[in-house]
Amino acid sequence: MAVDMSPDPTGPARSAGAAAGAQVELTLSVADDLLALARLTVSAVASRAGFDVEEIEDLRLAVDELCLQVLQGRRSGRLVLAMAGGSGCIDVWCRYEGTEDARPDGPDDEADLSERILDALVDEHGLFEDDGRPGAHLTKRRALAGG
Amino acid sequence: MEQDIEIEVQHRDGSTVVAARGEVDVATAPALRDGLEEVLDRGIGAVVVDLTGVTFIDSTGLGVLIGARRRCVEAGRELRVVVAEPRILKVFEITGLTELFTIHPSLEPALGA
Repeated sequence: MAVDMSPDPTGPARSAGAAAGAQVELTLSVADDLLALARLTVSAVASRAGFDVEEIEDLRLAVDELCLQVLQGRRSGRLVLAMAGGSGCIDVWCRYEGTEDARPDGPDDEADLSERILDALVDEHGLFEDDGRPGAHLTKRRALAGG
Repeated sequence: MEQDIEIEVQHRDGSTVVAARGEVDVATAPALRDGLEEVLDRGIGAVVVDLTGVTFIDSTGLGVLIGARRRCVEAGRELRVVVAEPRILKVFEITGLTELFTIHPSLEPALGA
C-alpha cells in the first residue's frame, strides 16, 4: 500500500472547498482488506474536514460502495484512491489499475442497492473512464447548521 | 488473512439463529453466505439472521440476505432479521429493504414472531 500525504495543488481535488484541506492518495492492491483500509482512510480525512460522526459513517459506506462500483468483481490489480477534504466538503476519486476484466456476475440487486446507497448518502457521484481505466467519484458536503 | 467477522449458529425455540458479529463487506460476506447456506441446506423452520453485533454492512452483505430470503421463500420458510444498531437499520431504510424484510429490534421478538 502506498500513501502520499503531501498536498498537491494539481491533484484530484476539484471542489473549491475540498482543495483547502487534507489531500490523500493511496494505492491499494485488490485484496481482502482493501475496503476496510479505504473506509478507515476516509474516516480520517472526513474527520479533519469537520464532518460529524453520522456524516463520517455515511462516507465510510459511500466510499465502500464507490470502490465496489469500480472493482466490479475484479480480484487482481490495484485501486487508486484520492481524497481531498476541507472546508466542509470532501471529494473522493477511485480508479482501477490492472488488466483484469470486470466480472459483473453479482446479482443485479447489488448494483441497484449500491446506486441507491450513493444517491442517499452523498451530494454527487458518478462513473468515469480515465485513459481506458474505469473510475468513479463522489462529493459530499457538510449539512448546514441550523435552518 | 484474518476475517473480521464471526458467524454463530444456534437453534432456539424452533428457529435457527444465524448471528453475525463484525463487518459485512465484500471480504466477509462469503462467510455469512456460507453460514446461511448451511442452515438453508438442512433443517426446517424459520431462519433468524441476527445482525445485532454487525458494525458495518454494504450492498454485498445486503445481497447475501436477499439471496437467503429467496431460498427461504422457495422452501416455504420464513426469514427474519434482527437489527439493533441505528446506522445498520439506516442502510436497510435507504435501500428500501425494510419493505422486503421483517426486521425486529431484538432477538426475542424475532423468535416469538
